[in-house]
Amino acid sequence: MQGLHIFGLSHAYGRHRVLDNVGLMIPAGELVCLLGPSGCGKSTLLRLSAGLEKVQEGSIVIDDTTVATPDMHINPEHRRIGLMFQDYALFPHLSIIENVTFGLLGMDAGKARARAMDMLDQVGMDAYADAYPHMLSGGQQQRVALARALAPKPKLLLLDEPFSGLDTNMRQTIREETLGVLKESGVATLMVTHDPEEAMFMADRIKIIGANGRILQAGRPHEIYYHPHHEFVAKLFGMMNRFDGVVSGGRIDTPLGPVQTELDDGVSAQVLIRPEGLILESDAMVKGVPVEVTSSHLLGHDNIVRARITDLDCKELYIRVHHTFEAELISDFSVRIDPEYAFAFPIDAAAEKKRLVTEERI
Amino acid sequence: MTAVTMTKSLKVASYSWMNVWTLGVIFITLMIMAPIIAVVLIGLSPSDDIWEHLSSTVLPLYIGTTLQLMIGVGAGTLLIGVGTAWLVSMCRFPGRRFFEWALLLPMAMPAYVIAYIYTDILEYAGPVQVMLRELFGWATRREYWFPEIRSLGGAISMMTLVLYPYVYLLSRAAFMEQSVCVLEASRVLGRGPVRSFFSVALPLARPAIIIGVSLVLMETLNDFGTVDFFAVSTFTLGIYDVWLNMNNIAGAAQLAGMLLLFVAALVLAERMARRKKRYHHTTTKYKALPGYELEGRARVLATLACTFPVVFGFVLPAGVLFGYATVYFETAMNPEFLGYALNSLMLAGLAAVLAVVIGVFMAYGARLRHERLLKVLVRMASLGYAVPGSVLAVGILVTLGTLDNGLDAFMRETFGLSTGLIFSGTIAAVTFGYLVRFLALAFGSVEASLDKVTPSMDGAARSLGQGPFGTLKHVHLPLIRGSILTASMMVFVDCMKELPLTVILRPFDFHTLATYVHQFASDEQLGEASLAALSIVGFGIVPVIILSLAITRSRPGHDKRETL
Repeated sequence: MQGLHIFGLSHAYGRHRVLDNVGLMIPAGELVCLLGPSGCGKSTLLRLSAGLEKVQEGSIVIDDTTVATPDMHINPEHRRIGLMFQDYALFPHLSIIENVTFGLLGMDAGKARARAMDMLDQVGMDAYADAYPHMLSGGQQQRVALARALAPKPKLLLLDEPFSGLDTNMRQTIREETLGVLKESGVATLMVTHDPEEAMFMADRIKIIGANGRILQAGRPHEIYYHPHHEFVAKLFGMMNRFDGVVSGGRIDTPLGPVQTELDDGVSAQVLIRPEGLILESDAMVKGVPVEVTSSHLLGHDNIVRARITDLDCKELYIRVHHTFEAELISDFSVRIDPEYAFAFPIDAAAEKKRLVTEERI
Repeated sequence: MTAVTMTKSLKVASYSWMNVWTLGVIFITLMIMAPIIAVVLIGLSPSDDIWEHLSSTVLPLYIGTTLQLMIGVGAGTLLIGVGTAWLVSMCRFPGRRFFEWALLLPMAMPAYVIAYIYTDILEYAGPVQVMLRELFGWATRREYWFPEIRSLGGAISMMTLVLYPYVYLLSRAAFMEQSVCVLEASRVLGRGPVRSFFSVALPLARPAIIIGVSLVLMETLNDFGTVDFFAVSTFTLGIYDVWLNMNNIAGAAQLAGMLLLFVAALVLAERMARRKKRYHHTTTKYKALPGYELEGRARVLATLACTFPVVFGFVLPAGVLFGYATVYFETAMNPEFLGYALNSLMLAGLAAVLAVVIGVFMAYGARLRHERLLKVLVRMASLGYAVPGSVLAVGILVTLGTLDNGLDAFMRETFGLSTGLIFSGTIAAVTFGYLVRFLALAFGSVEASLDKVTPSMDGAARSLGQGPFGTLKHVHLPLIRGSILTASMMVFVDCMKELPLTVILRPFDFHTLATYVHQFASDEQLGEASLAALSIVGFGIVPVIILSLAITRSRPGHDKRETL
């Protein structure tokens, strides 16, 4: 098979386990994102694939060639991979064109230059061939780094937080351009990020790694967002509203109404609802639960609204409203749950205890 | 080629590299450590009654004198170094910019050279006493009191004058690194500049100051020329004495082993301070330093305080040397001098190149293979800087002697011919000595600049098809070229100045500029040696220039340019 194939990879630093039996398959032309909190071992997986670290357990295969097992290690320079770093790692003492031709070993100078210029042209940096890295902006450096990584036609491209050094305005443009270039080249790509939105945008498939180094869920962006299998996965995308309850008759009752679940009856469970899963309505006729809006903040294209359920002593709700919202004008609101955004998970007693203790401290 | 065979061959290749780096570093470390280990072993093994003899006669004297010297020089350099560093980095007064670098100038003066010069000026027949006698009409020595320069106090003064720049350099760097915000917080909380200095700036700079003073004390223990000339009975002098005059190498080694205890204490203090230093920055916000504008008397005092060490540590002695060199130019500029100068250049150049090549090998090896073993080994190999030259010399004599004898015995047994002494008393021995002592300088400088090259550079180069050597050649070496040059120059100059090792290890009748100066100047023939001494000082200025450039560039917040 063309692309990257990883079998049962486990890795530990001392007694700290960062990868636990991780498997992965990326065919040529596909982009897979590893998403997880910092320190979860996603960068280690990248370094292992690149050959910058030795495999402790498991094996790595690139284009049907085994490149690493615990007993065998092919050095990075022989793996035919492209690698792009968070800091781009352009060689500061070399010009842009020299940076891009750096990996074109054994090609005659003229051909190498032509290939490099072609790559620079693809990323729109051909005008800067003779400039030096320090003369370029972050976004420009990123483009050059991409051209450099792709110039030797690698079998696998590894991206380590490739956009985190860019400012917000720039980031989206560069993401789109990068995605275009990658799809054009048809290379298998493994990207590491801690930014869920970035993973959603870039990836064909997302693999989520938890703090314990295990893959918690894998799937297309849509599945990850709408069908999280794990509390951790659900919470990746930001703050959630939480209600605890006990499953009875395939549903859990919350102050905002019942939520369907496949959990067994009698299980203590938590219901997590995304902020956009609470629908705030001012129409008195709908059958939502009446609430009082306590604050509202405009974030640009949407609002963050805090509200309290009338006549009920419970936590404030956290609601995302997509239209212009002026709370002062209306006083009677009601809230109902959009079931697509509400997920139920069993409460892990040990984790729960830990959570309560930390919350108390705060 | 099938995938399997390709994998096999690459696998072999990747493991043989491990051997090159790891074995190389192990070999170098063993070589560098051998003389130190030899001294320790001999120091621990009970030998004839020399030890008893020593301890009942001179040992208490050696210990007492060495301690007094260390305390005196430590206090002196602390006062001058920290004081001037504070003045030039925090205050504004006339000449501040000049003093910033001029205060480093005394570094160019080896202590033994300044000792010869001041003796020449201050002794009974010297210009100062002659002038005093004429001025007051005194006729004999008994009519007035004048401090004896050739004394412990004299040695303390000489060493303080040329060694304080270490403390100055490090404490200045520490003051410059301090966030002004912290100082401003102290001011806003109601403490004046002086109290802020003692309660905030000084404690924050303490690790750096301790490092500076430790380095000064290591140099103090290393000194041979000054204590020899002033007949101050320190350990170093004792080692030399026991070895040369009593012809007892075991006794010398035992004294050397004892001296190593002092060194170990200093190294420990230094390392602990370095570790602490990391935690001493609470903020990353930097602003230009406040620059208190001094007024009235304070201005004059500050200027004077900075002038004093520069004049007495450099301007005056350099002027005297220059005067002698012009007067005695005809006699001093002879073929012998040129020959000795060539010897010095050759030896120092060889040692500098070797030190840098080995330094790069070790620093890059440790970077490639993040193994604990290698990290420990490279640290051990850079311990030589702390070991006094006399101790190393004794260790090298013992090691090379054993090696020579072993080789000789082996050759006689197998081939029936005697090889005699191959290494002992050759310039190879001297070069090796320089290498042991100054490798740390080269290694430290290379390591520091390699650390600034982000690991992703290695990753990028490797993923683009370069092997470890290719990466070193095409990426790291071009990036750290500047510091390699700096490192080799520093080693070069230190070798030019080196005296105790050279005196003991050199071949018979072989001179470098330093030993030549030592021989003539201690015979009170400063004139003849003035040109040689002036050359040493001239070369000594090179690191001063490098350091002063580096210190102005290194201020965070003052210069946003990326320095690689």
